[in-house]
Amino acid sequence: MYNDVRFKLNGKDMIYTGDPLRRLLDVLREDYSLTGSKEGCGEGECGACSIVKDGELVTSCIIPVGAVNGCELLTIEGIRDTEKGKCIIDAYAEGGAVQCGFCIPGMVMATYCLLNKNPNPSEEEIRVGISGNICRCTGYDLIVECIRLAAEKGASIWNK
Amino acid sequence: MEQVKCYMPQTLQEALEIRNETHATILAGGSDLMVSKSMGAGITPAFSGPVMLIAGVKELKGIRALPDGSVEIGALTTSAEISRSELVHPLLRDAASRMGAIALRNSATIGGNIGNASPKGDMPQPLILLDAMVVLKSIDSERTIKVDDYILGSKKTALSDNEIITKVILPPQNFTHIFFRKIGMRRANAISKLTLSAAAVVKDGIVVDFRASSGAAGPKVARSRAAEEMLIGKTLQELPEVKDAFLDAWNNVISPHAMPEYRRNSTRRMLAYFIDALAAGHPEGRVD
Amino acid sequence: MSVTKIGDRVKRVDAVQKARGEAKYVCDMTFDDMQYAYMVRSTVPRGKILNIHLPELPEGYYFISAKDIPAKNELWMIAKDWRCFAEDYVLYVGETIGLVVGPDRGVLKDLKSKIVIDYEEQIPAVSIDDGINCVGGPMFPEKNSNVMCELFCEKGKPMDEVFAEADEVFEETITTPYQEHVHLETNSAIATYEDGKFVFYASAQCPFYIRKSIAGLLDIPYGDIIIRQATTGGAFGGKEHFPDVLCGALLVAENVIRKPIKMVFDREEDTQFSVKRHPSKCIYKTAIKDGKITGVYGHIYYNCGAYLSSSYVVLQRGVFHANGVYTFPNTYLKGEGIGTNTFPTCAFRGFGAPQTLFAIETHMDHIARHLGVDPLDFKKQYLCKQGDETTTNGHIIEEVKLPEMLDVITKESDYYRKVKEYTPGCGKGIGIAIYNHGGAFTGNGEQAIIKAHSRLVKKGDRVTILVGSTEMGQGFKTSLRKICAATLGISIDDVDYPDPDTSKVVDSGPTAASRSTMIVGKLVERAAQQMKERWDEGDFDVEVEYEHPEGYPWDQATFRGDAYLGYGWGVACVEVEVDKLTNEVKTTGIWSSHEIGKAIDELIVHGQINGGIIQSLGYGSMEKLENRKGFFRQKSMSDYVIPTSMDFPKQFYHIQENPYPWGPYGAKGMGELVFNGASAAFVDAVERAFNTKFNSIPIPPEDIEEALKNVQ
Repeated sequence: MYNDVRFKLNGKDMIYTGDPLRRLLDVLREDYSLTGSKEGCGEGECGACSIVKDGELVTSCIIPVGAVNGCELLTIEGIRDTEKGKCIIDAYAEGGAVQCGFCIPGMVMATYCLLNKNPNPSEEEIRVGISGNICRCTGYDLIVECIRLAAEKGASIWNK
Repeated sequence: MEQVKCYMPQTLQEALEIRNETHATILAGGSDLMVSKSMGAGITPAFSGPVMLIAGVKELKGIRALPDGSVEIGALTTSAEISRSELVHPLLRDAASRMGAIALRNSATIGGNIGNASPKGDMPQPLILLDAMVVLKSIDSERTIKVDDYILGSKKTALSDNEIITKVILPPQNFTHIFFRKIGMRRANAISKLTLSAAAVVKDGIVVDFRASSGAAGPKVARSRAAEEMLIGKTLQELPEVKDAFLDAWNNVISPHAMPEYRRNSTRRMLAYFIDALAAGHPEGRVD
Repeated sequence: MSVTKIGDRVKRVDAVQKARGEAKYVCDMTFDDMQYAYMVRSTVPRGKILNIHLPELPEGYYFISAKDIPAKNELWMIAKDWRCFAEDYVLYVGETIGLVVGPDRGVLKDLKSKIVIDYEEQIPAVSIDDGINCVGGPMFPEKNSNVMCELFCEKGKPMDEVFAEADEVFEETITTPYQEHVHLETNSAIATYEDGKFVFYASAQCPFYIRKSIAGLLDIPYGDIIIRQATTGGAFGGKEHFPDVLCGALLVAENVIRKPIKMVFDREEDTQFSVKRHPSKCIYKTAIKDGKITGVYGHIYYNCGAYLSSSYVVLQRGVFHANGVYTFPNTYLKGEGIGTNTFPTCAFRGFGAPQTLFAIETHMDHIARHLGVDPLDFKKQYLCKQGDETTTNGHIIEEVKLPEMLDVITKESDYYRKVKEYTPGCGKGIGIAIYNHGGAFTGNGEQAIIKAHSRLVKKGDRVTILVGSTEMGQGFKTSLRKICAATLGISIDDVDYPDPDTSKVVDSGPTAASRSTMIVGKLVERAAQQMKERWDEGDFDVEVEYEHPEGYPWDQATFRGDAYLGYGWGVACVEVEVDKLTNEVKTTGIWSSHEIGKAIDELIVHGQINGGIIQSLGYGSMEKLENRKGFFRQKSMSDYVIPTSMDFPKQFYHIQENPYPWGPYGAKGMGELVFNGASAAFVDAVERAFNTKFNSIPIPPEDIEEALKNVQ
C-alpha cells in the first residue's frame, strides 16, 4: 500500500513499510523501541529528539519517516557503545552534566556532531553547538565544561 | 482516521507529474508543515489531501554560481548549507544562520521557507531586499518571478497548484555597506520579533543605491522602492537633511497592526543608525 | 570498594544510564494491551455545563467523567476543593471534564474533537485585580469575595504611628508574572491493575501525596493504591501536587476499564493546562526618617487560580519572605490569595518566596536611588543578624554570613569599580541582590504535619535506603546515598536507593520545600549511625522518625514564632550591556555566593546553583506567560521561551560554609534558594544601564521601550 522507505539505522539496513507521513520520532520510539530519543516539544524547538541524519543533527519529531529514504541515521542507541559515544557519556557523568536527564540523549547527539566537525571547540563554539538543545535543569555551564572535557580526553578520537 | 496518499518522487520529472495530477501538498524539510499538522505523539500528522515528500529529488539541492554572476540555490538547499556557502550574499547567510535551532537549520529548506510564506519566515526578508527571483516549474512550463511578487501575503503565494519551486536566483550585488539585525525572543533558537536588512552602494560620495526590508513586520516583508528612492542620488552630506523624511516614509511602509511601538521605534533607530553611519563616511563593509 | 567520604567527588549514580538513553521515563514504558487517555477539557473560563454531546463510541472506547466516580469527586491536596472531573459548572479553561480512553490515539483524538459541550458562559475573573473586584460575581458567595486565603504578621509599633512620624513614605507596586516550569519531560502517568491493587507509574515528586489525594474517589484504603515513581524528567514544583490531577482521573478510568492506561501530555497541553507559578502584586509602603527606613508595610496578593491546591502555604512563605534579608524595626505584612478563573497556580521552585524577594529587593533599589545612595551600601545597613527579631516575632537562629559573602562577590565582580565607571544610562550596568530561603516546612510543620520516617535495610554488606523522597534531577539519589555511605563508613556503591514505591518504602514526606537533604538526609544519617553501632548483628532494619529541636516555638494559628529553624542565604550579582538601538540586553557576567550550611556534594550543588540562577534570569528577562480572558497566550516552547546555552555566560559561584546543627554533616536546603535572587539582580543591572525603573518582570525589549517612555 505504501512505498517502502529504506534507510540505515545505527548501521543496520531497515525497510519501513508503514505510512511515510508518520513522525520519524514515533517510528524510532514505537516501532524500533529506540526510546533514548525523547519528545520534549514536538515542534523542533527543544532538541530532546535529536538524532544524526547523514552526519547532520536533526530533530526527529518534525521529519516524516518517508523523508529519510536513502539516509543514514544514528540515534543515541547507535553511538552509546562506540568509542566516541562512550567518551561523551563518560565526560558527562564525570563532570556533572546530567540532572533530570530528559534532554541529555539529545544533548549527547549534538555533542557528537559538534566534536566530529570541530574536535577542539572554544566555549563559544560549544555554546553555539548546543544552542538548539534546551535544558531546564543545569543552566548549561557544566554541560559546556563536560563537552570541553570530552574534547580533551578524547582528542585522539575526535582528530581521527 | 483516513490515510492520505503520500508520494515519494526521486526525480524532478516524477515530482512534476505527481504535482500536475494530484496537486499534492509539497513537503520539503517538514519543519513548518509537520508542526502545523501535528496531532501529537504517536499519531500521524493530519494532512487533508495527498502529500508529496520531495526530499529525495536530488536535482533540487545545491548552490551554484552562474556565468552572469548570479547565484542559484536549489529549493531543497537547507538553511545550514546556505549559511555556510561563500557564494551566497552575506545578508541571506546571516538570516539563514539565525533561523531557529541548529538541528532545524539542517532540515529547513529555502523552498519551504518561501513556499509557506509564513510572516515569521526568516529568508524572504533578505531575499526581497536582494531582488531575488524564484523559479516555478510545472510539467509544461517554467516561470521566473521576483520573490516579492511570489509572496502575496501571509501564507498566500503565486504558486499554482501544478507548480513546484525549483530554485531561487540571487542577482549579483555590489553593495558597499550592509546592515542586518534579527531581534528574537532570545539570543539563539528563536522566532523573529523583528528583522531588518539595509544595504547601500556609495560611490564618490553619492548614494547610488539604497535598500531596506523589514521582516516579521506584517503579513509580508515590507520594502518600498519609493521610500528608498528618497535617498538614492543624494550626496552623503545631504543624507542628514532627508533622513527624517525617509524614516517617516518607512514608518508608513510598515504594517500598522503588526508593528507595535517597540518594533516601529527600533526599526527607526536602526535605519537612522545605518544612514548616520553612511553620512559619517563609514568604511565599506558591515555597518551592524 | 573504597569508603566514601562526604568530601569526595563522586559520579552521579544516575548519570550514565540517563546519558545512554536507558533510563525509563513514563513515556518510555509500555504494557500489554495498553490503552491511552486524553483529557477532555473546559474551553470556557467560567460557566455552567448544559450538555455534553458524545459521538458514538466504538467498542473498546470510553468516555470517563464524574458519573464514574463511586465516592467523592474531590482530590485531597491541602484542601479538598479541586474536583477530579468538573460537573455542572467549570471554573477555568482546561479544567478536566472527562477522559477519552481506548487503544488507538488517532481514534481518541478524533473522538475528542467530536465531543461537543454546551455551556452557559459567565464573565471570568482573570487577573488579581479582577479577583479583588469580584468581576463576574464573587467566586465564594458565602464570603462575598474571591479571597481564598489570607494572613498577616506584624512586628513593632502600629504602622499608622510609624507613617505619622516619618519624613516620607515611599510607596510602590511591584508585580511578578506567571512562570511555567517547562520540565523537559511533560506530565505523565500510567495506571494499571495488578494483583487486586491500583498501581501507578508516575512522573512525580511526591508519591505519597498522590495516594492520599486520590483514594477518596473510590473510597478505598491507601494500601489499595500503589504509586511507583518512574524516572522523573524535571519537576521544579510542577509535579508536587499536579500528578494527583492525572492520577485521580486515571484511577476512575482504571476502576472501570482494568487495563493499563497511559496518559502523556503533549507540550502544548502541558504549557496551557498545568499549574504555574503564582503571579503576584506587592504593594509596599516604606517609612523613611532621617534617610533611614523605620518601617515597612507590605500588602501581597497572589493569583491562586480556581482551586486552592498549595496556595495558602505558598502565600505564607511569600509573606514570611516579604521583608527580605533585612531587619526593620516595624513591619506589617499582609497576604491575600485571590481566586480567579484561571488554571490553578501551585508549587514552583521557591514556593512563593521569589515573588516577594524580587519585590523587596527591587523596592530597596528604588528607595536607594531615590535617596541618592548606592543600593548595596543602602541594603547593607539593614542586613539581619543572629538573634534579630523576625517579622513573625521569632528570631534568626543562625549566624548570618552575608557580609563575608558580599565581600567575596563585590571583589570577584569588581562591583564597586564598575558602579563608579558605569554611570546611570551609559549602556552598561551591574546589579546585586541579597536573599534567603527558609528551609523545610514552615514552623513546626515537619513535626505537626509531616512526621517523616526513614528506613535502612542491611542485607549482608549492602544497605538499602527505603524512603519516599524522589530523584527528579536535583541529585538526591546521589546525595542521600553519599550521606548513608559516609556515615556507615562503606562505599556509595554498596548503598541502594530504589525509586520509591509506596508499598515498599516509608513516608519521608514530600520532595519539596528544600527539605530532602536537611530533613530526610538527617534522618538517614541518624539511621546510619544506629546501624553502624549494630553493624555486626547481621541483617536488620533501622527506622527513625523526625524529631523537632526543642525551644523554637511556632503557633500556626497566629503565624507567630520561629518560622524557619535555618535559612539558606544568597548573593547574586549580574552585569549587563544593552543595545540602545533595539533594547536587547546582553548579560556579560554572573557571580553568586550561597550559604547552604555544607555542600554534601559540591558538583551537585554547583549544578543546582547554575540551573536555579538561569531559571531566575529567564523569569526576569524573557519568560512571558500572559493570560487573556482566561486563556494563556503562549502555548508552546516556541512562544514561551526559556534560556538557551547562548543567552547567559558562564557563572562564577561561591559556596559559603556555615554548618547547621540539625542537618546532616551541617547541610541545609538549597534547591530553591538558588532561584530566589538573580532576577532582581538582573533588573537592577538593566535599570542602571538604561537609567530607568521597572516595576514588573519580565523585561523583554518591548517592555523596556515602555519603561523608557515613562521616564521621558
